[in-house]
Parts: sequence; C-alpha cells; structure tokens
Amino acid sequence: MVNEVWLAMAVCAIGTFLMRVIPMLWMKRHLIRQQVAATEASMPVWLTVLAPTMIAAMYGVSLVPANQSFSAWLATAIGILTTLLVWRRTRSLGWPVCAGVLMFGVVEVVAVLIAGN
Amino acid sequence: MAVSSNTSPVQSPWLLGAKDALPLLGGYIPVAISFGLISVQAGFSALATVLISTLIYAGASQFLFIAMVASGAPLWLVVLMTLLINARHVVYGPNLAPYLPQSRYWPWLMHGLTDQIFALAHSRLPKLAAKDRLGWYTAAALVAWFSWIAGTALGAIAGAQITQRWPLLGEVMPFALPALFLVLLAPRFTSTVWSLTLGCTIAVAMLLKILGISNGAIPLAALAGMAMFYLLQARANAKTKNGAIADGE
Repeated sequence: MVNEVWLAMAVCAIGTFLMRVIPMLWMKRHLIRQQVAATEASMPVWLTVLAPTMIAAMYGVSLVPANQSFSAWLATAIGILTTLLVWRRTRSLGWPVCAGVLMFGVVEVVAVLIAGN
Repeated sequence: MAVSSNTSPVQSPWLLGAKDALPLLGGYIPVAISFGLISVQAGFSALATVLISTLIYAGASQFLFIAMVASGAPLWLVVLMTLLINARHVVYGPNLAPYLPQSRYWPWLMHGLTDQIFALAHSRLPKLAAKDRLGWYTAAALVAWFSWIAGTALGAIAGAQITQRWPLLGEVMPFALPALFLVLLAPRFTSTVWSLTLGCTIAVAMLLKILGISNGAIPLAALAGMAMFYLLQARANAKTKNGAIADGE
C-alpha cells in the first residue's frame, strides 16, 4: 500500500474514532453541567427518539436478504417469526437468536435441496 | 439468560458482556471473512486488510474504502465518503452517555461503538448496576472487535477456500444480526405511537435497501421514523387540546 493510502486510512480511522467519542464527551459534560446547575439532567427529546429509530433502521436494513429470492424471503420470515416466538417465551437474548438462525438455516437448506431435485 | 436476571450479583459483568456479545459473532465473522477476501482480491496485503479492520472498524465504510481505492478514486473523496457513511455514529455516544459512570477509559472504549454494540448497550446498560457497566461494555466491545479482526484475518488468508467449502454458512450465519436487532427492539413496542414509529422506520429502511440505497438507508429511515413520531405526538396533543376546549365549552 502506498504512503498516500496509509495516510487516507489513518484519517478515516481517526475521523471515525472522533465521531464516536466527541459527541459522547459533549453529552457527558452537558449532563454534568445540568447536575451542577441543580436542574434535572436530561437529554434532548429528539436524541432519545433517534436511538430506537436507528436500531429499527438497522433491523430493517438487515432484514433484506442479500439474495432476494422467494426462498430467502421465506427463510427470513420464518426465522423472524421463530425468533419472536422464542423471545416471547424466554424473554432472553441468546436463545431467540440461536433458534432464529437455526430455523433460517433449515429453510435455506430445504430450499437448496428442493432446487437440486 | 433472562433479561430480568442481568443485574444478578453472582454473574461477573465481564462474563455477562461477553455472553451478550456472542450472538454478534454470527453476523460479524462471515461479513469479516468476506471483507478480508475482497480486500486481498482488490490488491491490499493481508496486513493492510487486518489493519483497516482494526483501526477503522466500521463494516460498510471499509468495503467502500477498499472499493474506491482499488478503482483509483481520488483519496480525498475516499476519505470524505468513508467519513460520511460513518457519520451516523455521532448519535450513538450521546445516547449512551447517561448510563456511563465516571471512568477515564470510556473515550478509548468508544472505538468499539459499532451499530450492533450500540443497539446492545442501549438495551443492556440501563438494566445493569452502575458499577457493572464498564466491565460489561468492555467485554462486549472486545468480543465484537476481536471477532471482526479474526474474521478479517481468516478471510484475507483463507477466504476463498472457506467460501468454496461452506457456501451456505456465509448465507445463514448473518441472519443472527436481524434476529438480534429484533430481540433488542421487541420490548420497545410499548404503545401505538412507538409501534407506528418503529414500524414506519423498519418499512422505510427495507424499501431503501431494496431500492439499492444501502449506505443512506439507516440515517434516512431513522429520520423518517422521527418524523412519524413527532407527527403522531402533534396529533395526540391536538386531540387533547381540542378535548379540553370542548370540555370548557
């Protein structure tokens, strides 16, 4: 890799790191200032709305299969349904994910076997 | 591992953080293997590929970085586009700030604040005792970071053999990510306003992804969701106001 590309990579790495750390430090100072001023320490409402919507957006993007075939969509739907059902039953993190991936994989394998016949 | 049992004093926060981050591996490792493979095929050395994953540590932007460099794009444009894609990270830290107890390590630990770690931490940190949060976050972030680096190295060294030998594995394992996001999101469907807001966000994100707007889909869908939230709130406020006026008459 030539020097200029190393430099570009370093700028990207430092820039990304600063985008992760500076807003966090700013908010911590903001909350401390509010505490010192004896007002209720709170975040702007828009920021508290943005957090769940960002997670929902990540979920929506990750739902779309890379290969948008009928079997991939079917596997996604069954996998999501399985995840949801196991979550409702266990209210845990690991088991619903495991069950969802397993069911998604089973549907994908069955689809491959059917297509092979 | 039940959500409600996470504050258990008998379980080390480090162990809990590592366990909570395990489902991420299903999504991280196959994508990291793909990145390692594509990066080497684009002409980067295995060392440079691993360093990109270690230092930039932001999936989509890394793919863009190597693709643009390989295509001979001007480096200022490569840097600009990479940082633009990663700009969504600016909202993650402030949302976690109220749950981060005083420690000089937090700024350095923010390097591990990926989309998935943010989603995980935003759900988990409020449920943990303040003294356990640093340990939980450090363990979760390190498991995710090392899995990304290890996956990249594996992809750079043996990616072609792996994808040839187990082609289905790369398709199945990434489903861990939507499954994880669903588990983190499900408890937030607490009211009509939130259900409609989150439903709208998910629908817009899927539509944008299907239309091929992959990089802009997350911030655009989140903004659409916010707009929906404020619209619903304004309608609810107007209804309350009208009701109060009618009662006054």
